[in-house]
Amino acid sequence: MIKVIDLYKSFEQLHVLKGVNFQVAPREVVCVIGPSGSGKSTLLRCINKLEEANSGHIYIDGKELTNPKTDINLIRQQVGMVFQLFNLFPHKSTLENITLAPIKIKELSKASADKLALELLGKVGLTDKAHVYPNKLSGGQKQRVAIARALAMQPKVMLFDEPTSSLDPEMVGEVLAVMKDLAIEGMTMVVVTHEMGFAREVGHRVVFMDDGVIVEEGTPQEIFDNPKNPRTKAFLSKVL
Amino acid sequence: MPLVEIFGLGIFDSITSQRGYAVVIESFPYFLGGAGYTIALTFLSLSMGMVLGLFLGLGKLSANRILYFLSTAFIDFFRGTPLFVQIFLLYFGVLPLFYDNDPISSAIIALGLNSAAYIGEIVRAGIQAVDPGQQEAARSLGMNQRQAMTYVILPQAFKIVIPPMINEFIALLKDSSLVSAITVPELMHRGDLVFANTYQATWIFASIAVIYFVITKTISTIGDKVERRLATD
Amino acid sequence: MNRLARLFLSTLLVVALVFPLVGCGGEQSSEKVLKIGTNATFPPFEFQQSNEFTGFDIDLINAIAEEQGYQVEINHMDFKALIPGLQNDKIDGAIAAMTINAERLESVDFTTPYFDAGLIIAVGQDNDTILSTEDLKGKKLAAQNGTTGARYCNSVKEQDPATDVRIFDDIGLAFMELEKAGVDAVVNDLPVTSYYLATTENTKLKTVGEVFSTEEQYGIAVKKGNTEMLDMFNEGLEKVKANGKYDELYDKWF
Repeated sequence: MIKVIDLYKSFEQLHVLKGVNFQVAPREVVCVIGPSGSGKSTLLRCINKLEEANSGHIYIDGKELTNPKTDINLIRQQVGMVFQLFNLFPHKSTLENITLAPIKIKELSKASADKLALELLGKVGLTDKAHVYPNKLSGGQKQRVAIARALAMQPKVMLFDEPTSSLDPEMVGEVLAVMKDLAIEGMTMVVVTHEMGFAREVGHRVVFMDDGVIVEEGTPQEIFDNPKNPRTKAFLSKVL
Repeated sequence: MPLVEIFGLGIFDSITSQRGYAVVIESFPYFLGGAGYTIALTFLSLSMGMVLGLFLGLGKLSANRILYFLSTAFIDFFRGTPLFVQIFLLYFGVLPLFYDNDPISSAIIALGLNSAAYIGEIVRAGIQAVDPGQQEAARSLGMNQRQAMTYVILPQAFKIVIPPMINEFIALLKDSSLVSAITVPELMHRGDLVFANTYQATWIFASIAVIYFVITKTISTIGDKVERRLATD
Repeated sequence: MNRLARLFLSTLLVVALVFPLVGCGGEQSSEKVLKIGTNATFPPFEFQQSNEFTGFDIDLINAIAEEQGYQVEINHMDFKALIPGLQNDKIDGAIAAMTINAERLESVDFTTPYFDAGLIIAVGQDNDTILSTEDLKGKKLAAQNGTTGARYCNSVKEQDPATDVRIFDDIGLAFMELEKAGVDAVVNDLPVTSYYLATTENTKLKTVGEVFSTEEQYGIAVKKGNTEMLDMFNEGLEKVKANGKYDELYDKWF
């Protein structure tokens, strides 16, 4: 589903990605962990071209993202993204946040879009908040709405950029629960996270990044219980 | 009659018997007519400025080199030269090349182009003040730049630019007094004409100032109310 | 703060206080200064040339002042500001091709006349419809604010409300408007209009009709009731006319 080959990305003098090779199979849940500055968010943002790579190739479902001739907007409709800071549209209600893209991009009728949105709100447990504005929602609620919004475009892949890092601890669980359900349903997911419990329980594969490269990857058991690389060990000893 | 009343009447008398007072009372309806022109001028120029300013602001943020260059050059010129100079340049120099230009339409164009430059900067700053995450969210859903701007960015920028826009409205209203030099029959020009015939500078220009003040104060009060309403949304 | 800073600041303070007094002392000269107001955009009577004020009126007032033992300080301002300037004692006298008329005499006093003028109509080179003052009715006219030309245009408008009268603060702008065909005619003092047409080698404008309002005469204006200043100017004017200086200046400029 996702193929990243030899990716290099720098911001002016700072080299953030130094030759990353990465693959995600359909229905796979990959969790990317690592210290801050390791490049994990940048890698994720390159996958939907929010950041443009300096060199290397990225393929989504066979289509080459890095080719300038490719219509990036079409590809992004297949790739949903959930942000650390939610980025809900403050001037629209919860329902409108979810229906905006389907109506304007896929030209769904308002009725069909509303129906879809209510279904998704049901999935994330927030149907009663349909007509509430984002400023009245808690962090956990906002993130669940954000997930519903991304799902409304019926993407093939979902990218999560530290989805729970801005949440108060008591709300982390409700968001992770939604993500777990999504994984069980078979969504292809790439999750950058510090929630090791989630990675172990839900992830099919864990990727450890440090200093712009993938240092080690494997199943959760392999990485958490039997890390081979000393840098992996050092990192895990600090966070676990 | 008690002393205070006599004293008060005395002051009232000494004020109302002055020639300047008589001139102002007589000319007041004439001045108000001029104020009408001033307000109409400002409205029309501001409208022109807002439409053009929106394009200029977007142009300055555009990736297209030509659009960027044109917008920046326009804004730099109209903000970098005095409005007074622009009025004369347009009235006597540029506009006659295009049509048989009269003072009023020339004034609207001059004020409109000038305010467009300032509004362009306001729009640009307003758009940039919107959280960049909004742009990212909109684009990551698959919206193209035009859709992201129209449905997500600009609606949010709108709320942000209201205070500076109101300031621009008030500034434009005051600046409109400059078109008196090309004989537009607005408030300042009318005061000028009455002054030349009666020499009552203090009375005339004080009352003109009061009229301007009443108009600008009304606008800023309405503006405050609008701001407050939008903030509670 | 430390000693050095205190010393520096006190020195600065002393200098700031003493300097103006020193300056004052130096300015006291033995000659008296006349503040003369004018609107220096009216050639050939008063205008600016390479940063100096020049023209018939300027030369005349300088000649008068010299005879009477004064120095002249020229204050340039809008024409319409001259009379208020006299009323508020901002200037001692005003010389600006100002016509002596009853209306103005209500506010200021004038010397004996020093120039005979009149008004003339200027039109575009191709204009065949305006040939005299009769033809001004219903047309678009321009003049300078506060002048007798402006008054005349307004009187035409009173007779025919269809007349459009445009008042500019500067006669130059009125002429530009005429060249631009924004108005049909400009009504203004004959010498100034002739000068403008001649020195700007004007092929776009021409004068038509006879000189009118020829009872117009220019005078130097002073504050109403200031007989001392008025007498001084009249005396000086007499002397300048008597000793041939006036004729000299007239030949120079006309």
